[in-house]
Amino acid sequence: MTRVPIPPADAERRNTVCQFCIVGCGYRVLKWPEGREGGPAPGENALGLDLREPLPPNSDWIAPAMHRIITERDGRRFHVAILPDGRCSVNHGLASVRGAGLAQTLYAPDQETKARLHVPMILGPQRHERTSWWEAVDLGSRVVKAVMDRWGPDTVGMKFFDHGGGGGGFENNWAVGRLFFSGIGTRTASIHNRPAYNSEVHAAGDAGLAPLTNAYLDARLADTVVIVGANPYETQTNYFLDHMAPNLQGATLRSKQAAFGAEPVEPGRMIVIDPRRTMTVAAAEAAGGADRVMHLDLEPGTDIALLNAIARVILDRRWHDVDFLRRHCEWQTFESYQRSTLQVDRPAGEVVAHAARRCGIAPERIREAARWIAAPKPGGFRRRTLLHYEKGLIWGLKNYENIAAIVGLGLLAGNVGKPGTGISRLGGHQEGYVRPPYPGGRPALNVDESVRRGEAKVFWVGGCNPVLTTLRAEAMERALKQRGRIVTDALHATHGAPVGERVAAVVEAMKRGGMFILVQDIYLTATARHAHLVLPAAQWGEMNLTSINGERRLRLYERFMDPPGEAIPDWAIAARFAKRLRELYLDDRNPLMANRFLDFEWRSDEDVFIHARYQFDGGANDPMEGYAGVTYDLLRRLGNEGIQTPVRMVNRVPSGTVRLHEDGRFFTPSGKARFIPAPLPWPGYGAAFEAQRRRYRFWVNNGRTNHIWQTLYHHRHVPFYRDRVPLPYIEMHPEDARSLGVEPGDLVELSNDVGTVRATAYPTTAVKRGHTFMVFGQPRGAAGDLVSDHVDPTTTIPYYKGAWADIRRIGPQPGTRHVSFRPQNVAG
Amino acid sequence: MTEEAYGSGPERHRLTRRRFIRTTGAAGAGAVAAGMIPSRAAAAGTGTAGYPVQPIVELSALAPETTVPFTYPDDRAPALLLRMSESALGGVGPDSSIVAFSTLCTHKGCPVSYRPEHRLLICPCHWSTFDPAKAGGLVIGQASQALARIELRIESDMVVATGVDGLIYGRHTNLI
Repeated sequence: MTRVPIPPADAERRNTVCQFCIVGCGYRVLKWPEGREGGPAPGENALGLDLREPLPPNSDWIAPAMHRIITERDGRRFHVAILPDGRCSVNHGLASVRGAGLAQTLYAPDQETKARLHVPMILGPQRHERTSWWEAVDLGSRVVKAVMDRWGPDTVGMKFFDHGGGGGGFENNWAVGRLFFSGIGTRTASIHNRPAYNSEVHAAGDAGLAPLTNAYLDARLADTVVIVGANPYETQTNYFLDHMAPNLQGATLRSKQAAFGAEPVEPGRMIVIDPRRTMTVAAAEAAGGADRVMHLDLEPGTDIALLNAIARVILDRRWHDVDFLRRHCEWQTFESYQRSTLQVDRPAGEVVAHAARRCGIAPERIREAARWIAAPKPGGFRRRTLLHYEKGLIWGLKNYENIAAIVGLGLLAGNVGKPGTGISRLGGHQEGYVRPPYPGGRPALNVDESVRRGEAKVFWVGGCNPVLTTLRAEAMERALKQRGRIVTDALHATHGAPVGERVAAVVEAMKRGGMFILVQDIYLTATARHAHLVLPAAQWGEMNLTSINGERRLRLYERFMDPPGEAIPDWAIAARFAKRLRELYLDDRNPLMANRFLDFEWRSDEDVFIHARYQFDGGANDPMEGYAGVTYDLLRRLGNEGIQTPVRMVNRVPSGTVRLHEDGRFFTPSGKARFIPAPLPWPGYGAAFEAQRRRYRFWVNNGRTNHIWQTLYHHRHVPFYRDRVPLPYIEMHPEDARSLGVEPGDLVELSNDVGTVRATAYPTTAVKRGHTFMVFGQPRGAAGDLVSDHVDPTTTIPYYKGAWADIRRIGPQPGTRHVSFRPQNVAG
Repeated sequence: MTEEAYGSGPERHRLTRRRFIRTTGAAGAGAVAAGMIPSRAAAAGTGTAGYPVQPIVELSALAPETTVPFTYPDDRAPALLLRMSESALGGVGPDSSIVAFSTLCTHKGCPVSYRPEHRLLICPCHWSTFDPAKAGGLVIGQASQALARIELRIESDMVVATGVDGLIYGRHTNLI
């Protein structure tokens, strides 16, 4: 019989934050020795609850998924329960489907997570073989040094995490940045699935805005929440459930009255701009009623035209915020924006009608959206609108112009820096960026091209899996295989030889096109299979780490268990290499280079945190991540509430920032926000995409979904998640499916001029005819196989959402009998 | 396309959470005569692992798309029996179409209800949805497990509950 053990009253307690999405829900960790158990009476258990009776709804119930038995390095076994924290204002005790299963991701030698990397490995003649940290670091450092000395630092390519939560944290990001930027000095750097080292929101930065401007509180206070290219019910779950939905339901009216006094308030509205009718649309309608939710299901790549047409209506109706524009924006940029972006030289009706045709949205709906965003409330009060965007816009047709369009729309009606407003990305990962400056410029070097073309002699991948997630993914894997093989042969030929001989052979192999591959990760990923050196990293829960969430809430994610085997934190891996490189350069009598690898003598997670902190001075110019004056001790005291960055030093006391730009200052030399005029009302698809559009029948959108995180790197080892998405699925309209003879669960093949991929058909009216939507990054089929290597030249950001392909039925798919193909967008 | 190490060998497509244990309970079967509904106490101890054997409804009274609310394994555990118009994983009776679940959402314990037009059980609090034809599995939403499934068997013309697969919301063990 299923049973969850009761944590005893004296169970060890730790605070943590979910390792997954940007929302960063607070969780409590309870840990107690195997063989012990608490009792059901309130005084006998760590929950303080009477477990002799069934708990009422919304209790601190420990679901089976929240419990696991772990084994420490010394062999001792413990129960661990990880349950959502009712005292945390981010989630108020709510878990998402992913967070509720955090315990299932813990390393356990008797569970599927035993697949974790335990020891450093080197690629031997047959397979990866165990080696020692010393040998791995020595060989890797010698190869890196040889390549730097011979070909220069830019031939050391890297693709690394740079986020928060399980995707980095301030500690690991700082160490990686010091090794590669101020140490090695390479510009051939890139960020997890991306081909280059770049912001995804350069246009917001150029406008003077932080990427994350608002507090989650603002979603409770807003009159209207605008969601562009995002699906928060599924992928920023508790921000939606705990903040947006209550606003739509009218449950936050008292907070609004308390905040706004005489200003009229009512339940919130929501506009969702997304080609799909997602679960977010359905849940928002269930929460607020269909008349308070507007879904604009635009055609692919037309966001710029739609957002700018809405802005034009606002300007035309004189709903723009003249006072804000005069006081806080560079006026000349506003004038340029009016002319080139909003096309004031053409009649508004014509501009709207043109955009309407382009986007597939009726003109009156564009006008209604403008009304919901900016029409004054009774009494002449300005409407408070919170604008959020994410990958649908970021990975859209033209990254820079897309972001410029949403930023312009937000600034026009003064919707930033006030309660109930904001212009922010919703976020995917958490954040935790702190590194020495990237040595390259803008646009950044395209690392994928460098790997494919042969310029990169070393490719060092950390905590990401480009074989599954980059664009033109098949070509990336081919390069790793073919170029890696040349070095592998050299290593085999010198097996057992002194390390100097082996390095010389590797360098000779590189002259013939070879590439040396290092991967540090927690599992043997598809990318790691090609690595010459595999380095086992610690994960969330196995080290102390700090990160910020989507409202910049900085917290300490406490360590509560050992890493498996010889795994160590990523910062410690970077430090070992830096120290060895320093020794090698000192041996070489090259103190100049040796000194680039100074100051990696950290003894603890907090040492790294404090070292990185000196990037911030606590003043007004600190970036949004700034955490001057913060210590682990302070964060322990603040628990899962933490402190919102940037942290300013006020009277020498660290003081948090609820929302950015409240002081009317923006991150530009003038301190005023800038509009970024678009060169054209809509840039067009460009020749490559236009050709694909004409040639192939279906648009293949892709994205993240409810159950699974990223490439399922954890979830493929947890049956509950894996069984829901055993294969990548592709949503297609039922009539399109019928026309192809496709039944739910059939295997289909998608192909275009870039590549081929297979997926399971999931017919649904969530997508329009001619549109499809494929799960992103599923290990058994990468949507990136269809995505061309075109990037926005301004930002080196790809049009990941832009692929067109033909689809054919392969046949029935065995193993899907247990999989539900019922609609995923029904809520009421 | 790239395939990674994924799951654990032959188990990878197995419906791992649901084992669909065929309940044994032969003694209970003998106690349930057609048209006779014994008390819960009278049948106690004869189901799976100490669960009571509890008659729910006469099979002949169950048309397709019928639902029958009941409680199981005790009065504080609301449940719903459905006869679907399709066969269901783990179902009993004609075409394996009869299934039953605890109606406490395994996310936060709100009561799910059956929406025949979607053939889904939907929670009104946070909109988790469950597919009764797929062992109560989560279609979308925030629960971390399927709905607790009431194990059924047919005895003569009676649909009988004999156990629970999965933990019911709000309990550390189903029999408290």
